Amino acid sequence: MLSRFRHPTIVTALYYLAAAPLSAQAPDVARERAAYIAWLETAPNSPLKALAQQPLGSGLTLGPEDADIPLLGLPKHRLIAKENSVILQGLGDDTQVVRRERPFRISGYTLYVTASARGKMVTVFGNSTRKRPPGYYEYDSSLVFTGRLVPPTQRSSSRVLTSDGIETQAIEAGTIVASIGTPVKLRVLRIPGASGEESELEIFFQDESNGEGTYPAGRFVNLTPVGRGEYRLDFNRARNPFCAYNSVYPCPVPWRGNLIRAPVRAGERYRGGGLDVVPTSKTR
Amino acid sequence: MMFVALVVTGALLGLNSRSPVGSWRAALDLAGGPLNFHLEIDSSSAGLGGKICNGAQCQPVVVNVEGDSVVIDIADFAATMTATLRGDSLTGAYRNVGSRGPRVIPFRAARGRWPSTPAGKALLGRWDATYYLDWGTSPRVFEFRNGPSGLEGTIISNTGDYGHFSGLVTADSFAMAHFDGSFVYLLTGRLKGDTLRGLFHAGLRTQTPWKAVRSTGRRHLKSPAEITQADTNAPFRFDFRDLDGQRVTSEDPRFKGKVVLVDIFGSWCPTCHEATPELVRLYHRYRNRGLEMVGLAYEVTGDRAIDARQVRRYREKFRIPFPTLLAGTNDTEAAAATLPQLHGFTSFPTTVFLGRDGRVRRVHAGFYGPATGAQHTRLIRDFEREIEKLLQEPQTTQQ
Repeated sequence: MLSRFRHPTIVTALYYLAAAPLSAQAPDVARERAAYIAWLETAPNSPLKALAQQPLGSGLTLGPEDADIPLLGLPKHRLIAKENSVILQGLGDDTQVVRRERPFRISGYTLYVTASARGKMVTVFGNSTRKRPPGYYEYDSSLVFTGRLVPPTQRSSSRVLTSDGIETQAIEAGTIVASIGTPVKLRVLRIPGASGEESELEIFFQDESNGEGTYPAGRFVNLTPVGRGEYRLDFNRARNPFCAYNSVYPCPVPWRGNLIRAPVRAGERYRGGGLDVVPTSKTR
Repeated sequence: MMFVALVVTGALLGLNSRSPVGSWRAALDLAGGPLNFHLEIDSSSAGLGGKICNGAQCQPVVVNVEGDSVVIDIADFAATMTATLRGDSLTGAYRNVGSRGPRVIPFRAARGRWPSTPAGKALLGRWDATYYLDWGTSPRVFEFRNGPSGLEGTIISNTGDYGHFSGLVTADSFAMAHFDGSFVYLLTGRLKGDTLRGLFHAGLRTQTPWKAVRSTGRRHLKSPAEITQADTNAPFRFDFRDLDGQRVTSEDPRFKGKVVLVDIFGSWCPTCHEATPELVRLYHRYRNRGLEMVGLAYEVTGDRAIDARQVRRYREKFRIPFPTLLAGTNDTEAAAATLPQLHGFTSFPTTVFLGRDGRVRRVHAGFYGPATGAQHTRLIRDFEREIEKLLQEPQTTQQ
């Protein structure tokens, strides 16, 4: 159960990931997909319900047609970014503090304020959606790999968009090699998570199925530590960025170098619907 | 295999497999291995209830059963475990809110109790640990001891402790868990020579490697008092409403000329659950000599009715005799904005000591709970000394 201790600055030899038949993972993947779909269908901050996402700047107006974010039926409100907080001001002087990273409900809408590398962002969600949850490819055990993460030679970080359209400063965590047709070295970033102690090791990759069954701009897949310093890279767990569901979200620019020159027909599919325009390098 | 054995044992003991009532050896399956904890489900006239425990430290839960589905509500932290009861096993998931998808960790339990495994002397005591993060290192202190349920201990950071950890020892390796419904932490390690090495697991997938050596007595952590600063040029001001909507401010007569301890807390914050009962004790001890206290709650939803209900439960749990005010939400930045006289306010709980003139004399970020043993004792003694010193100051109000 214990992993061999490995100092992150020690550069270890390049390990190729061996394809491992881990079909024991299939039920876990099915469970995760069911939980994710349930979240998409029920969460107040489900991307299927998103109506707007924009930088807060010094403040925004919400509600009437001429507001920065028009929201049908909502009287005029003002979101004010103070130095250290966000305040929602309604009619009169009635104010409330909107805290970050939590759904904040206001008459049929939900606000969600997130800190990003470029300042605060606000995402507004409606109450319901006609958008459909995603579909998936059949489980493919040949696209599950286990191997080592090779640490970077020097510390650095990159500014990237997370799956929910938020710009974040991510730490270069190294590279991992998967053999899909030919060996391909994939760049891994550590994306900050919900609490200071938590984070995710993520890969944003493109492959030859993009636009032909999968989302055109590429997909995310995370690394799961499995002990002894090894990680599982399971393409059955590949997920669309939220811009695939809803054009409210900006799409992540494909990460340099993470192009797989073979189709990866595993994980989340794309059957249109949410996407109004095929993304180009829309951000940055 | 273990589960089969437990099911057979359960049947032999004649346990009613249709009811979830009883003791369960439960686990959350993190990517790096199981986080073990105890689950007790009991039945009373009010219905099913219970607790989740790390060793002797427990957190109450509310249990609901519908058919073979069991829902364990960890109300204090707005999290839920749902499971299916089949024979003598529970299988399901632990859940709380997330913004990029659900935060779900597989959960399972079998009837029985985890064995109690004390650790050898070589592991016990105080260790100076270093966490290796991608962006650098970060200091921690580990304190290990043997308790009634085997190896237990705590992890201390610059701002406080992570609460009580409890776990299993096998030869030179150990795995200690802290799961209270909100935080999911697992510390695994192995002793080799005089060095401990291992992983700190947070949530489902995050793993941080660490190394620890015997504490030399030299200072390894930054003192909490160095982290938060305050404006001491003017009396400390607060102006909030209590749970019944009554306005309470720092100008109120009940605080005039008194030494005041301001307890900045949240009902969602595990360390606060350690700090509040100690503050209540100090309040009873020094109240007649001129100590007053006020609790400022920073809650989860921002909805006054929901937050007030949550804080009322907290008040009842700890029998808080001093006013508790709804000050805001648990966003560090939002909280800081409500108390502009505190600079760099980043920790829950934070205790602010005000002199009889109303000015900030000390800001203490974090709190060493009873699980930290000697640290806790020292902190309480330190608080007492500070209170006694402030009580001796002349009773003039300079406003």
